[in-house]
Amino acid sequence: MNHPTYLLDRIENKDSHTLAAYREAGGYSALEKVLKSMSPADVIDEIKASGLRGRGGAGFPTGLKWSFMPDPEKDTRPRHLAVNADESEPGTCKDRVLMREDPHGLVEGTLIACYAMRCQAAYIYVRGEYRLPYQRVQAAIDEAREAGLVGENIAGSGFSCEIYMHKGAGAYICGEETGLMESLEGKRGHPRPKPPFPAGFGLWGRPTTVNNVETIFNAPFIIDRGADWFRTMGSEKSPGNFLCGISGQVERPGVYELPLGMPAREILEKVAGGVWKQRKLKAWIPGGSSTGFQRPETIDTPMDHDSLKAMGSMFGTGAMIILDETASIVRSARVLLDFYEHESCGQCSQCREGTQWLAQIFRRIEIGEGRMEDIQLLEDLANGMAPGKTICALSDAAAIPTHSVVRNFRDELEEYVREGGHPDYRQGRVLEETTS
Amino acid sequence: MSETVTITLNGREVEADPKKPLIAACHEHGEAVPHYCYHPGLTPVGSCRICQVQVKQGEAPPRTVAACRTPVAAGMVVDTEAAPAHEARRQCLEFLLKNHPLDCPICDKAGECTLQDYAFQEGQGKGRSVEPRRKLPKRKDLGEVILLDNERCILCSRCVRFMEEVPKTPQLCIAGRGSHSTVETWNDQPLTGNYQGNLADVCPVGALTLRKFRFQARVWNLLKVASTCPGCSRGCAVTVEVLRHGALKRVRPRHEPAVNGWWMCDQGRFGFEDANRPDRLAGGALRSQSGGWEAVPTDAALETTRDMFAVHGEARIVASPFVTVEEGRELAALAKTIGCRPVFVSPPPNEWADDLLHTGDPAPNRRGLSELGFEALPPDEILARVGEVEVVLLVGERVADLIGREAVAALPEALRVILMDEALVDSPAVDVAIGVPNYIERTGTWINVDGHAGRLNPARPAPPQTWTLVRSLDYLHTLLHTEPQGARR
Repeated sequence: MNHPTYLLDRIENKDSHTLAAYREAGGYSALEKVLKSMSPADVIDEIKASGLRGRGGAGFPTGLKWSFMPDPEKDTRPRHLAVNADESEPGTCKDRVLMREDPHGLVEGTLIACYAMRCQAAYIYVRGEYRLPYQRVQAAIDEAREAGLVGENIAGSGFSCEIYMHKGAGAYICGEETGLMESLEGKRGHPRPKPPFPAGFGLWGRPTTVNNVETIFNAPFIIDRGADWFRTMGSEKSPGNFLCGISGQVERPGVYELPLGMPAREILEKVAGGVWKQRKLKAWIPGGSSTGFQRPETIDTPMDHDSLKAMGSMFGTGAMIILDETASIVRSARVLLDFYEHESCGQCSQCREGTQWLAQIFRRIEIGEGRMEDIQLLEDLANGMAPGKTICALSDAAAIPTHSVVRNFRDELEEYVREGGHPDYRQGRVLEETTS
Repeated sequence: MSETVTITLNGREVEADPKKPLIAACHEHGEAVPHYCYHPGLTPVGSCRICQVQVKQGEAPPRTVAACRTPVAAGMVVDTEAAPAHEARRQCLEFLLKNHPLDCPICDKAGECTLQDYAFQEGQGKGRSVEPRRKLPKRKDLGEVILLDNERCILCSRCVRFMEEVPKTPQLCIAGRGSHSTVETWNDQPLTGNYQGNLADVCPVGALTLRKFRFQARVWNLLKVASTCPGCSRGCAVTVEVLRHGALKRVRPRHEPAVNGWWMCDQGRFGFEDANRPDRLAGGALRSQSGGWEAVPTDAALETTRDMFAVHGEARIVASPFVTVEEGRELAALAKTIGCRPVFVSPPPNEWADDLLHTGDPAPNRRGLSELGFEALPPDEILARVGEVEVVLLVGERVADLIGREAVAALPEALRVILMDEALVDSPAVDVAIGVPNYIERTGTWINVDGHAGRLNPARPAPPQTWTLVRSLDYLHTLLHTEPQGARR
């Protein structure tokens, strides 16, 4: 594997989370460049030119998103950046590495994004369980403030920006951008219907942009080294590197920095050492649990937004989950649906009732109480939940894996119904008892 | 009327208010888009997702959207019956019914439940769920007014928003998450305030029901008549609902933007027991020499009244503030004939006044009577004044109640008292009693505190032989003009 890297280059440095180490590695030079020689519009243009796409799941072009913020001449309301560090998608653990090992990179990226969108304040919403990452980012902000890089009149440039930290309380739904804003405002993390969109009516009704940690983390590199450099990596429509968190039944699970567009097979076999114990691949999930169980034949798909979309899945957060031949798709799907049932906020009828219903059906099929008509019912219910039928995409996130199981692993569903459930239950023994 | 834009709704070009959500335009133009969380008097939240319609804007392909959270925009083409929208609504219904108990036979809401209606219209005869339904508290005590059935609740959050937005006394919340969500009060404390009854109205299902209406009637047996609340001088537009044998079972607010919006207070809602009082006086009654009462036809009682006016000296007319404008007009003419200024009982303000609806003034037609030239007098003032005359006509629904029944009973025996009220006051002080219809038995108009006319309509007949007050007064007036005077009793 010989591809250029940048995202994780610094994390091996001694005390990489400190300002001294960050400076040593050339940190805050991008911020300096921005403050000295670039206008906010220049920054947005550079990000647009780089083709950077959001790493939080939807893959929306970042520069375009930033440009949605209203013109400050015409709209004088205070404006905010919210950094989504509520990384909770099953399988995903990339932002944790960045925040824990290289928090100043996030601080610098946040300041650059705020400069570009003329935000006076940024809020970093960190997943509650991420204690060390939270402490590290907070320490980095404190160090940066001490050094005059956060707060009033940053580095004598006249630009002022405050960064606040907020700790989540364990709700997956608070990683949804409008749920995150509600939670930041001190309310329950109930996603808001759109429109209005955050760029016009976000935090406290003010213009707001929500970006993922990894997205923000890319910005200083693009400013420092240029959009053209950025485009030398990755694919044409999805440039740059991404952090691939690969987990499940693989030899070497972990977070790897890889160019977008690398075929999934190469990631699995060359980067992660292949399927655990040289077993056969049964299924894979490309980008976090919401992207569905895919057939092993699709493992040659390049890991980028458009290729995965064409294959019928999504890039998501780039968090691959590998299931080997011994895995039970039905049980895995039930575990996932239990998760979505637990995390549904309960506003929308389809999601509140549907996630529970799907989990119950998968559970029944797993324990040998499934009926053939349940397979059609799973499909019908998933159709009733998505696409775009609810306030946010959690309902879709539960429907997609369900569809994928029915479409890609119907044989296993039918086998379970016919034979009396998961092999554990068929033999009258329950090896793993989990509550649904 | 604010500025409107033109949209195409099911093939028709219609005008719509861009400040309102699309569903309001659909309803305004007669398209029945189902809705649970949407209520025109509350902030739309777009959570039940049943109101899906198909919208096409510009060149983009048509989208299925929640009509309650979609702003009206000029030129949008809306199809409420498009197949994808219809299918999305049907699917949504299936989810809503998944855990809803099959309580309809014992549910107070049955018959006016939109979930029931829509399930009947769209749903499959057989549910596809074999899972056990959610088990939740079914008789949760939310205080003196409301009972909560969590199993029936579809979590539309109308009740939560009502409490927050209308009386601005947030007391309800949705606790728990996802499929564990339930409507609750903090620490199971009872609800307080004068607007709790509205919760049963905003609840689209039978989750929040009125204690006082519990198992009282099947709603399809209720005759519903538009009327006006007698509770205070706000005169909220209401619907009075009576059973076939005439008992008033329920009063609910009727939408009237100029007066009460969609709401009414509990004082008005539950203050109707008087309408069902058992001691109603039918026709007329004369106090006999032996001290008892002799039932007579209304015209005979009125003839005796005429004699009293004709023979004795100074007379006074004291009206109830429940007297309508039409009745008041007759009374004013009568007062002119007998030469006095009519007064009405002005009861003292009560403690229920708030800045939402209740005015604290228990006189529903104060403004109407004042404008007709009636003088407003508090009960003690009235009692002091009638001592100065020989004949007094106490007239109108609840007049004795408002002066005080005991005070009426204690009026000097020398005073000739004619009582035209719902019930008689059994006292030697009263000489003639004539029954009158109450506010759910007659037509008429009350003018509320802001000058808005509220109409009364009869929901049941008055007791037998009982004339309307207008007819009685007209007859009495005619007698005074045409009959020769001088006959002594």
